[in-house]
Amino acid sequence: METKIPKPSDAFLSLMRADFTTQWRNRRSVIMSLLVPIIILISWKGLIAKLGGAFVFSIALTIGLTSIGMMGYAISVARDRDKGVFQRLRVTPVPTPFIMMSRLLVQLGMIAVLTLGVFIIGYRVDKIALTPAGYILTFITAFLGGALYLGFGQMIVGLIKNAETVNSTTRLVYIAFIMLGMFGELSDNMEFKNIIHWSPFGTVKTILAAAMQPVTWNNDATLALVATLAYALVFSFLGIKWFRWN
Amino acid sequence: MIDQPGSSILQVKNLNVFYGTFQAVSNVSFYVKSGEIFGLLGPNGAGKTSTLSSVEGLLKPQSGEITVAGFNISKQPLHARANMGVQLQATSFQPELTITEIIKLYAGIYGVNLTSEKLNALLQDIKLEEAASKKFGQLSGGQQQRVSLVISTIHDPILVMLDEPTTGLDPQSRRQLWERIEAIREKGHAVLLTTHSMEEAEAVCDRIAIIDHGKVIATDTPQGLIDLYRNDPAVISASRKGKITLEDVFIGLTGKTVRA
Ligand SMILES: Nc1ncnc2c1ncn2[C@@H]1O[C@H](COP(=O)(O)OP(=O)(O)OP(=O)(O)O)[C@@H](O)[C@H]1O
Ligand SMILES: [Mg+2]
Repeated sequence: METKIPKPSDAFLSLMRADFTTQWRNRRSVIMSLLVPIIILISWKGLIAKLGGAFVFSIALTIGLTSIGMMGYAISVARDRDKGVFQRLRVTPVPTPFIMMSRLLVQLGMIAVLTLGVFIIGYRVDKIALTPAGYILTFITAFLGGALYLGFGQMIVGLIKNAETVNSTTRLVYIAFIMLGMFGELSDNMEFKNIIHWSPFGTVKTILAAAMQPVTWNNDATLALVATLAYALVFSFLGIKWFRWN
Repeated sequence: MIDQPGSSILQVKNLNVFYGTFQAVSNVSFYVKSGEIFGLLGPNGAGKTSTLSSVEGLLKPQSGEITVAGFNISKQPLHARANMGVQLQATSFQPELTITEIIKLYAGIYGVNLTSEKLNALLQDIKLEEAASKKFGQLSGGQQQRVSLVISTIHDPILVMLDEPTTGLDPQSRRQLWERIEAIREKGHAVLLTTHSMEEAEAVCDRIAIIDHGKVIATDTPQGLIDLYRNDPAVISASRKGKITLEDVFIGLTGKTVRA
């Protein structure tokens, strides 16, 4: 029998349109994930002179990326898996990886929005301006850091099957990241500081801060970059390996 | 089409499905021809959904061969799936999307060019023009069922598989669904459905397979099964009004105990 498989590109575009619409309808939770970085940018205004613009910027961005990977990605994947949304899509002639790729692309879009938002508010409120190279490098590193947290989110939905548990776990991890990230580096305990520095939070923050001022990029930043990539690869690998569609 | 398995749209041969060490489907074989409505009947946990999931390629059976329109589901899953329309037992669509958006999504996935006239005609046909901008979760069970059927047949597939399509429907909606299923048969397409309703099996199915504990224990036309088993002592003892019904045969063959 003659069968035409629908064009994969058409199928992918339809998936993406649906996923972007879904994201748009969820804009309240999207705004929530942008809110924390913005609050940091605004409320830490007075600290910028002391801590430096790059420090504040990189923390705001890292926290935003964490929330995209975990709240934006993991929670919605866990919920749709629970509801059977994926199973319904999987019985169609769309290649299965497309279903996830479309979702990931939406989150990459979110990372772009977040980064732009932080740039704009940082410029308006905190008068932080980067060089063109700084803006471009920050954009790229934001995607790398985003990949790490999307991988982390993938690992959570790979490890935990129940949507409710995914929900509470990601929230817990998110809050832990904020706590550690904001107060960890201000601590006096060197060992503790070191652990934070090389944690998935610290490495992303380091590369973002260095990318904002490319002249300050040093050995430490390069090592943090390698660590970020390694984290991203390991998390995604395990997350995909452990993932079950139902 | 000739009346033999060789010309069938769906063929399932020696299917075995395990969950861990538990065997849910055991050596199941059957076929569905074009222009035929085939029913899978069995108590809760009999293995109906597991059988359908194997056909859909949602789960990998330990052994067995499944072909849809001549395509092997494990070797050419996309070709096989392009030829089937599916309604799962537990389906949900993205709760954020409207009915129109969901229909457009699936039309796009199947490569169906859906003009706004076509879309309106579809919605009109299922009497949901008013609900076009509602979300799936805001519809009643019967309305959800209609949307679900429209989506599973949007690409006019030659095999339509429906897992308990009439569960929870009122008599009117059920009758209407039967008519829609029969319209698919009129086109010469094949329908595979599961049901717990003997009345439904007798009313719409051309042939049925009774499946229990993962095994097919009988396959025939509804009347054929009644004739075949009318003298079976277990069937006679299940009969309540003297007259042997399909339900008596079903109870006689699968036993009276309620499944865990
Ligand atoms: N994912 C799973 N893991 C383990 N066991 C499963 C799984 N899915 C189904 N089973 C078991 O396999 C058997 C067959 O289940 P299946 O869903 O195929 O039955 P069914 O005939 O569709 O039942 P129902 O009429 O209740 O829908 C049952 O005993 C069920 O508990
Ligand atoms: Mg079932």
